[in-house]
Amino acid sequence: MTFRALPGRQEIVLLLLLIGVLLLAGRLSPDFLSARAQNELSTHVWELALLALPMTLIILTAGIDLSVGSTMALCAVAFGLYFRAGWPIPVDAGLALLVGAAAGALNGVFVAYVRVHPLIVTLATLAAYRGVAEGVSLGRPFSGFPPGFAVLGQGSLAGLPIPGLIFLAALLVTALLLAFTPLGLWLSAIGYNETAARYSGLAVSRLKFGLYTASGLAAGLAALLFVARRNTAKADIGTGMELDVITAVVLGGTSIFGGRGGLLGTVLGVLLIHETREFVSWQWSRDELNLIVVGALLILSVLADSLLSPRRRQ
Amino acid sequence: MSPPFVQITGLSKAYGGVQALADVSLTVETGEVHALVGENGAGKSTLIKCLSGVVRPDAGTVAVDGAPLPPGGIRAAEGAGIIALHQESTAFPHLGAADNIFVGREPRRFGGLLDGPRMAQEAQALMERLGERIDLHRRLEELSPAQRQMVGIARALSRRSRLLIMDEPTASLSARETQTLFRIIRQLQAEGVSILYISHRLEEVFALAGRVTVLRDGRLVGTRPIGEVSRDELVRMMVGRDLQAFEREVGAAGETLLDVRGLTRAGEFQDISFALRAGEIVGLAGLVGAGRSEVARAIFGVEPPASGAVTVAGAPLPPGSVRAAVARGVALVPEDRQHQGLVLPLPVGVNLLLVVLGTLSLGGFRSARKEKTTVAGLMQELSVRAAGPSVPAGTLSGGNQQKLALGKWLAASPRVLLLDEPTRGVDVGAKAEVYRLIRQLARGGMATLVISSDLPEILALSDRILVMREGRLAGELSREEATEERILALALPAAGEP
Amino acid sequence: MPLIDRVTRQREWGVGTLLILTLIVVGAVNPAFLSVGNLRDMLVQDVPTVIVACGLTFVIVLGEIDISVGALMGLLATVMGLLTSPSRVHWPVAAGVGVTLLLGAAVGLVNGLLVTGGRMPSIIVTLGMMTVLQGVNQLLLNGQWITDLPPGLRFFGLGTLLGMPVSVWAALIVVLLSVLLAQGTPLGRRLYAAGSNPDAARLAGLPVHGLKLFAFTLTGLLTAVATVVSVPRLSVIESGVGQGFELLVVTCVVVGGTSISGGQGTILGSVVAALLLGLVRPMLIFLRLGVSATYWERAIQGAFILAAVLADHLARRRPRLGART
Repeated sequence: MTFRALPGRQEIVLLLLLIGVLLLAGRLSPDFLSARAQNELSTHVWELALLALPMTLIILTAGIDLSVGSTMALCAVAFGLYFRAGWPIPVDAGLALLVGAAAGALNGVFVAYVRVHPLIVTLATLAAYRGVAEGVSLGRPFSGFPPGFAVLGQGSLAGLPIPGLIFLAALLVTALLLAFTPLGLWLSAIGYNETAARYSGLAVSRLKFGLYTASGLAAGLAALLFVARRNTAKADIGTGMELDVITAVVLGGTSIFGGRGGLLGTVLGVLLIHETREFVSWQWSRDELNLIVVGALLILSVLADSLLSPRRRQ
Repeated sequence: MSPPFVQITGLSKAYGGVQALADVSLTVETGEVHALVGENGAGKSTLIKCLSGVVRPDAGTVAVDGAPLPPGGIRAAEGAGIIALHQESTAFPHLGAADNIFVGREPRRFGGLLDGPRMAQEAQALMERLGERIDLHRRLEELSPAQRQMVGIARALSRRSRLLIMDEPTASLSARETQTLFRIIRQLQAEGVSILYISHRLEEVFALAGRVTVLRDGRLVGTRPIGEVSRDELVRMMVGRDLQAFEREVGAAGETLLDVRGLTRAGEFQDISFALRAGEIVGLAGLVGAGRSEVARAIFGVEPPASGAVTVAGAPLPPGSVRAAVARGVALVPEDRQHQGLVLPLPVGVNLLLVVLGTLSLGGFRSARKEKTTVAGLMQELSVRAAGPSVPAGTLSGGNQQKLALGKWLAASPRVLLLDEPTRGVDVGAKAEVYRLIRQLARGGMATLVISSDLPEILALSDRILVMREGRLAGELSREEATEERILALALPAAGEP
Repeated sequence: MPLIDRVTRQREWGVGTLLILTLIVVGAVNPAFLSVGNLRDMLVQDVPTVIVACGLTFVIVLGEIDISVGALMGLLATVMGLLTSPSRVHWPVAAGVGVTLLLGAAVGLVNGLLVTGGRMPSIIVTLGMMTVLQGVNQLLLNGQWITDLPPGLRFFGLGTLLGMPVSVWAALIVVLLSVLLAQGTPLGRRLYAAGSNPDAARLAGLPVHGLKLFAFTLTGLLTAVATVVSVPRLSVIESGVGQGFELLVVTCVVVGGTSISGGQGTILGSVVAALLLGLVRPMLIFLRLGVSATYWERAIQGAFILAAVLADHLARRRPRLGART
């Protein structure tokens, strides 16, 4: 019994949609599909993809994390701060990741142990973390990072972008965890019926705490990638990121009600959003259409899920 | 001759293969207090639900003043004057008494605005009619159970109900509050309101009722004027059935595996102490609300008790942690298998392995082979009838689901098994299989506690029977001396008890 | 109920006390804080928050949420500007305002339909709607700014009536009507009932779906009202209008005592919380902590929600009055 390793109906629909979008794009503008163009356009998708991994698991447990964008900002500012204080880059990066994990852990404590609704907790930390980032940095950017660090975000290894490799590594680890350890089933059980999961002796609180901490850690990593890519760290990065991440996950077939979902769908969801957005920008140079498309995609995909499945909302 | 106020004829209702009510007929006269008694599972709740419009009966009619009840659920029943006092399901805990009484039919003024003063006035008047004063500003959840009950009665009165159905109304009341309730009931009676009074407290029945109806196994045993029946007769009517002899080898009981001392949680159970030995099956009998499930859940760690200690195989069990209990070898098959025992959307195999997924894996990694063999073995041992291990557990019948809920613990090799209503909603065939399983486990050394409202079941399975009454252990009966009457006698509140 | 109990148990009193304490403390440090001019300015700043918080209180009491109000305000501002600006469509102010109000209500209605008919979680509906509205807004603005609003419109934002700004009048009226709705109409009581126990409400025959539709539509309409009386104060309408507004309003409602699980919460509580949260930025300025201090405003907002949540948690764990022991 493996955990959603095989593509289900949702993934196939997504794949078809993706192919459809790419074909349409290819007809209207063949250059879009060239390797060079795709490479250039993909520089920023890795952060989104990275965040989508823990978000998938969180939504699987019928939770949500709205604070990922703000956590990114917090970590970026922390990184810049430590750098300016003169500490070596590896230390700065390590501390930034620690900040991310701590931010996620705070969410985790409130959700898992104080047992507050994750919506409210992460809505509060969405404000709090960005607020702290703004307060500490006074709205001013940090820059001047050494070129060696920029490699993290802009370099490539064997033709593949380094952030992409980092994401693939994270994807691999997560996929292995889901496929070969009980984690996937545990999370699914919690999402479908947390009470029964507790009655079965599952370490529900511990798992939830771990997930939110991991989400914070991922946000820290995404922050580092961003800073490496753009060579600047500011308190406004990651704004609106949480929407993209949640849309990608939900679009990918993970049910917002919990219990059902998978990584493959999330990856496809990320790709679909990414390619659609990039193509819209490429062809019509109008970023605004992106927002409309993504928002509409989110609503339509959840609507379809809600109407097609007979499950009652709690 | 004018038709009786309420006439119930041939009422029947089945839930998924289990006949909860079969051809029950009774009448209620105007201004009568008519008592309804019977053991757990006798069909009383189902009868109430049919009368009050919550469910529709499969067969039979309910007629008020000669006219059958129109369809339309609760509103139709209320329109005809029948109201059941369900506490939680129809109350708004965050709202005040006046709101709870009048929501949906609020008094108005100036064409559309709420007439707050009049609402408060009428609410207060209703409460005074009942002889109670209540702070209308307090939220319902802040009132005492007795006060909440008063609000429920006031609400019924405000809707001009003519038949009030009260289900165990004195369960959470003090002696004084009970007297107040009795006074109100007699007052309502004098005003022509009828009361259908369901209670296990037989002395209350004798104090209030004009007639009493006994149900057993969903059927009507009989209706008697209260003056023509004695308490013993009543108990016999509730209980009397042929006992089927079940063979049981009484094996030698081994070491004490579970020791419970002084378990207490305010309002639920008090000073519960008992021990389970290896190979023993101990029954825990008692009426609904006696606190049995709460005790089991407290032992299992769902919620810690206020005081008391639990020891498993000699080692103390930290309270309030399900994980600790499971790790020490305690298993609980809960009452509500759908919401607590199983994750219905997940496959049968996953449900069976849910407890042991962690332990089955080597160094954190799952072993597909081990899982498959364990599942296959379990399904065979339990004779689970399903299309395969990959179908969702929710597609199985009640009996098979129950086997899953029990079977999931087998893989964990527990030492202590707590079963809460193990055959509720299970058909006869599956019941026998569950019994077989329980006995087999006991032979293998399992210390088992069976909580059941099914007296023949408890008598058939148990080596000895503990009886709980209103939160305390009322007594213990050995296999030889246990009879249904004796159990019920211990389980029923004695005369004069608060 | 003794005063100290009131303050700790009833949220409105607690928040109100905090409000007064803050005014006193900051006023002591810097008396200019309590000048009529500053008080009036702070009040005017709070107007849009107060107005929308009234609607959002009903939504959250019903157990739902709406985080699209910020983006809606942005879009409505743009629409209003485009319709009334002399250099654009140049409609009469009344028509422009009318369309704005209709549009606000319409968006609210769509939210409500998706939640009730579509059986979708409101967080997702309003999250998606927020993005769509942002996109449409940017599309309409096309990267430009609207700077020439007609004087008729400016009256709504800057004019005074009987010595008090028009916008404050508007807020006052909205608050009074909302309190009347909540306490004085059957509709209001049913809203609370549906939030307190939706199943019981349905059994009692209450139209839970209809009530939710009402709450969402009302919120949309009130967002439009808030836009009309606050945006004309700005010298320019651009795509940043309304950003972060939804967070502020939700914070006010939650801090004001409305529980996210529904069934309880008062208009007054949300209003007092709005006033309190409106003090944060001026407080940071008037305490002369330096320019940097104002950057902490959002952090303080977040801290407020967490504090409110903790307070709720602790209150729940204390034994309730009347519970049998």
